[in-house]
Amino acid sequence: MRFRFCGDLDCPDWVLAEISTLAKLSSVKMKLLCAQVLKDLLGEGIDYDKVTKLTADAKFESGDVKATVAVLSFIFSSAAKHDVDSESLSSELQQLGLPKEHTTGLCKSYEDKHSALQGKLRETSLRLGRLESVSWRIDYTLSSSELREVNEPLIQLKLQSQGAESGSTETTVVSVSADKFRVLLAELKQAQVRMNALQ
Amino acid sequence: MLLVLSEEHKEHLSFLPQVDAAVVGEFGRIALEFLRRGTSPKIYEGAARKLGVSVEMVQHGVEGLMFLMTESSKHMISEVDFLDSVLVLGFSEELNQILLQLYLQHHAHIRSILSQLPSNQPAYHNLEWRLDVQLASRAVRQQVVPILTLRLLLSGVGDGVCARRGKVLQTDPSTLLHLISTLEGALAAMKSSHARRIFRNIK
Repeated sequence: MRFRFCGDLDCPDWVLAEISTLAKLSSVKMKLLCAQVLKDLLGEGIDYDKVTKLTADAKFESGDVKATVAVLSFIFSSAAKHDVDSESLSSELQQLGLPKEHTTGLCKSYEDKHSALQGKLRETSLRLGRLESVSWRIDYTLSSSELREVNEPLIQLKLQSQGAESGSTETTVVSVSADKFRVLLAELKQAQVRMNALQ
Repeated sequence: MLLVLSEEHKEHLSFLPQVDAAVVGEFGRIALEFLRRGTSPKIYEGAARKLGVSVEMVQHGVEGLMFLMTESSKHMISEVDFLDSVLVLGFSEELNQILLQLYLQHHAHIRSILSQLPSNQPAYHNLEWRLDVQLASRAVRQQVVPILTLRLLLSGVGDGVCARRGKVLQTDPSTLLHLISTLEGALAAMKSSHARRIFRNIK
């Protein structure tokens, strides 16, 4: 059976198994749990004490609690990833055996946070070496050990970018002569024109 | 199978009958925390002060208890064997039962901690990818070149769970298809009759 929210693939077995665990919660508690999981997915952190309190009524063990959080995270992030609308998500979840009240609660939370989720997922997509800042300085060389009168402007560029490993910053310092800098600027302007044409 | 306890170990554990049952339970808890997070001398000093014995005796008692638990969990010995092994120490019946309860409650957890210990090979942690299309470069305009950028995150390498290293790779669609078919071939090899015969014999 192909499901849109799984990217037109089969639903993973563990998701099927945990949907029956989800059904043990009352639909009100499940809506609150969805809110917690969405907060976690949007990067605001999850309050595990609240989660354990919500699942305490249904007498979940710690394994069940983790499984519930995992399956809700999967459903939300996978549905946002494949840009599934909430009606399709609702019908697919009901096909998998999630009761109607739970599905409506879940899909309402999904619809509210749909664009926020997609924005967050877009931010966390793979980016290599993001440029963080550029600073520059223009010097004027008067003279050097090789030549008594040099009289040339020189640009010092400092580029700060995120390194290949997350969290590290790399600093590159380059000094560019006036002619080379004009070439660099012309090429970058051409690239900017092409980028603007795309948007 | 029976555990064979060394003389030194028996001597360390001989401290346990001198204290009452609640303290043994407390020592059990400290021993398990030791496994999970290591221990601090403050805990030993506090316990030694309360019981009026030397810090060394407390430390040996806790460590002896922890070693007993890890050895039992490592060999997955049954209840009967555990009781027989502990009988050698000559403890009271009540103490034996407490130790047995401690073992039964925690052996699964101890085994999972022990299984995480030998992690010296980098293992797959996560794969992030991005599909781009190169439209132009400084040298050539009007291009259409699809490029797939991958970041393979590996865990392990000595530090245990931490120290994620990421390798950045780039590939074009035809190489990607070849990669996919090779990996699917590897998965299919698990279903071959040769592999199945081996799995059946292991189970």
